[in-house]
Amino acid sequence: MYPLLELLQILIFPGILFAIFLAFIYEWLDRKIYAKFQNRVGPLYTGPMGILQPFADFVKLLAKEDIVPNDVDKPLFNILPIFALTLSLTGFLALPIISLKGIISFNGDLIFLIVLMTLICIVVIYAGVSSSNRFSTVGAERAALQLLGYEIPMMLSVVSVGIMANSMWIYEIVSIQSNTFWFLIGPGILGFAIFIICGQAELERIPFDIPEAETEIVAGWLTEFSGRKFALFRLTRNVELLYLSGLAVTLFLGGPSGPIILGLEPILYPIYFLIKTLFVLFLLTTLRALFARLRIDQMVNFSWKYLIPIAILHILFVRVIF
Amino acid sequence: MNIVKWARLKSPWLLHFNTGACNACDIEVLAALTPRYDLERFGALLKASPRHADVLVVTGPVTRQVKDRLLRVYNQMPDPKFVVAVGTCCISGGVFNGCYNVYPGLDSVIPVDAYIFGCPPKPEAIINGVVALLKKLEGS
Repeated sequence: MYPLLELLQILIFPGILFAIFLAFIYEWLDRKIYAKFQNRVGPLYTGPMGILQPFADFVKLLAKEDIVPNDVDKPLFNILPIFALTLSLTGFLALPIISLKGIISFNGDLIFLIVLMTLICIVVIYAGVSSSNRFSTVGAERAALQLLGYEIPMMLSVVSVGIMANSMWIYEIVSIQSNTFWFLIGPGILGFAIFIICGQAELERIPFDIPEAETEIVAGWLTEFSGRKFALFRLTRNVELLYLSGLAVTLFLGGPSGPIILGLEPILYPIYFLIKTLFVLFLLTTLRALFARLRIDQMVNFSWKYLIPIAILHILFVRVIF
Repeated sequence: MNIVKWARLKSPWLLHFNTGACNACDIEVLAALTPRYDLERFGALLKASPRHADVLVVTGPVTRQVKDRLLRVYNQMPDPKFVVAVGTCCISGGVFNGCYNVYPGLDSVIPVDAYIFGCPPKPEAIINGVVALLKKLEGS
């Protein structure tokens, strides 16, 4: 591999710039679909059909005053937004988009991706605690409790994919799916459902937006962040949304594979990837629009009483079949 | 037009502050955010934290009790910030003008950028007020 080409891949396509661009588009789509469910039109006047709305929000937040309160833990408070964004972008690099291999690809990279997701949540907890604001602290506590709830079923559903593919390497998982069948069709559908529910909790969207519950604890762990720090955290959320739908596509919907014409793979693969992630995004947004927020105890109860047993049974079932 | 100004015009995030209104103005502010009028068309979102907001929407007469809290929330907002006074009570004290516990208008406490009169103002009037504020920004 040429080093210059690799650098271009990481920085522009399908790397960081592409991820940020797509994250803005996805936030816009998310808001539009959400508005449709509520019989509204959503962003309309910022660019054609309001497509530039997330970009305008981002630029505005970048240009705003950046307040650092006296009581915060300053080093942590300043560096955490950058950490969060870096982690989510690193995760995106490992997803296969232009070929069956991601830019970062090694045996066992699925575990690496899961660790990244947990690290983002730990950054969230630190962000809440370092703000030393009572609302932020409560938000961080809730984020930690929620992590205990959704983390285990999510890992179990990912492990079920590992068993089906007999590998923890994303390249092999995708190529097996492109040669045989998508894991969604068949035994994987339960795992997919569990993954989507836990993904919703990971992204802190309704019904699991407990750590940033607006009506109870102001803005949760985000309360004290303003200006560009808040902009980076918002961007992190959007990239994470993209990353999670991409991961769901990779694990259950066959990644970027699809009917191909020889020689045209680098063009067709990203198109298939986009179509499939849009489908997952639509599912996630539908969940967000249809439900109301749960209480934290309801969420943890639901997770430990129903989600984890179902996930374990699913693993046993998959192990018997494959 | 420079890009930062454009972004500011396109995404005014609101923070709603009630200084002791009778709830009529509050209901009208909420009505302006509901699907019938849908302020999100203009990029406006209702935010819960003062640190995230650009526009402070104040309803109700400013009493001596609430003045300190109002100033505190105002100071917590990052620059550039704008203030909209909604309703007659907020603009001048309304029927409470001259009471020992009420300030004669919001502008005697914090600088105000737009006034929306009415008791209570209609949601159309509130949207008009926000648009007037944006026009003023565009000109400045």
